[in-house]
Amino acid sequence: MANFIPAGDGTHTGWRASVQKVGGNLAGMVIPNIGAFIAWGLLTALFIPTGWLPNEDLSSMVGPMIINLLPILIGYTGGRLVHGQRGAVIGAIATVGVIVGADIPMFLGAMLIGPLAAWVLKKIDDVLDPRTPMGFEMLISNFSLGITGMLMAILGFLGIGPTVNAFSDVLGRGVQTLIDTGLLPLASILVEPAKILFLNNAINHGVLAPIGVIQAEEMGKSIMFMLETNPGPGLGILLAFWLAGPKILRGSAPGAIIIHFLGGIHEIYFPYVLMKPLLVLAAIAGGATGVAVFSLTGVGLVATPSPGSIFAYLAVTPPGNHFGVLLGIALSAAVSFVVAFLILKATGSSEGEADLEAAQAKARAMKTGASE
Amino acid sequence: MAKVSADSVKNIVVACEAGMGSSVMVAKQLAKQLKANGIEVTHAPVNQLAATQHDLVLCHRSLSQRAKQAVPESVVIAFDMFLGDMNIARLVGALQTGQDISDD
Repeated sequence: MANFIPAGDGTHTGWRASVQKVGGNLAGMVIPNIGAFIAWGLLTALFIPTGWLPNEDLSSMVGPMIINLLPILIGYTGGRLVHGQRGAVIGAIATVGVIVGADIPMFLGAMLIGPLAAWVLKKIDDVLDPRTPMGFEMLISNFSLGITGMLMAILGFLGIGPTVNAFSDVLGRGVQTLIDTGLLPLASILVEPAKILFLNNAINHGVLAPIGVIQAEEMGKSIMFMLETNPGPGLGILLAFWLAGPKILRGSAPGAIIIHFLGGIHEIYFPYVLMKPLLVLAAIAGGATGVAVFSLTGVGLVATPSPGSIFAYLAVTPPGNHFGVLLGIALSAAVSFVVAFLILKATGSSEGEADLEAAQAKARAMKTGASE
Repeated sequence: MAKVSADSVKNIVVACEAGMGSSVMVAKQLAKQLKANGIEVTHAPVNQLAATQHDLVLCHRSLSQRAKQAVPESVVIAFDMFLGDMNIARLVGALQTGQDISDD
């Protein structure tokens, strides 16, 4: 029999899977709809008054897309995750209630009401299905969805919309305070380690982007889109691995750099950091540098760059912001490269030759020691 | 602990969180290596695994707990690196030489 290292989480147990699951569900509602975000982001970057080709007629699509289309898609997808096509339909219906009940783009509200409405419908279907007389299936299923959908939309309008509105206000003010006081770079202390633990999508699509779209709608751009998606820190770490990493890993680093920086698949550098956990310091230093530069130069993006590739960045950078954006990415890469290089050199003598096999054996040992 | 024999593996699914990014990349690499063996490699979000046709699941170690929760009966092989991973190399070797594959 082939000798595999057992599946399972090498370093942590339960909590990470749970956080990932919640976060994964949030991201799972957003990621399939990224194409629509890009269409909206491009329309915004091109046609709003401060865009590349200001055009009043075409820019009239920007508002309805961000206020209506994107939350409805999120609510639809969230509902589909819970209860298939019927869940998707009721998720979309209920999201309209949340949208109308608030005056900001209702991403968080849609993430709540979409799955909730689908879950309620699922419970109702569980009760009604076995009791439906033959020939009445369509009548009952259409009206159970319609009536429940109406009620969930009313609930969204009266309850969830205003609540999420107030919550987003507080959140937005907190973020604004961080920006005004210059403390925003400290966010990297949380964001970068969380990324390495594969919570990248949860953080970006679940937390940061919903705040970002509110700012983007008010001010035409937001720095919140850049906290998690900056490809600079990962680039610096991979470059350091290429030049100073354990020999067995050097060969794969150039390919990883292309996939990470140009393709935007950040996941590819997380294992390198997990192998030398001290490197998270390099990620934090690079991330904080990037955020500091973005803040000081006052730049932002019009939409979330997803995947976090340099090409996606350039596509959603509004006119006049390119210098600050590129400078921030370059400096964050430089800083994380220097820190990672020093760490790799300093630890090189003791574990530098520790190859992949040893790292995996370590993971196996930790796994055995942990209860599942 | 699940177990499967190499010649019954016709369909491998690579899972990641969104089922659109890193899993697609790994699936494409693996599909090339296993094409000659008549094994199909697809990709899926980890929370949709139960609804995805597969004989074997491959995912990054950080997601393998969730994958195992989603499909406890399936063989779930975890990998560490997205490029040049030893577990994936072992899996390809086991499939090509017809060994049994187990995730314990």
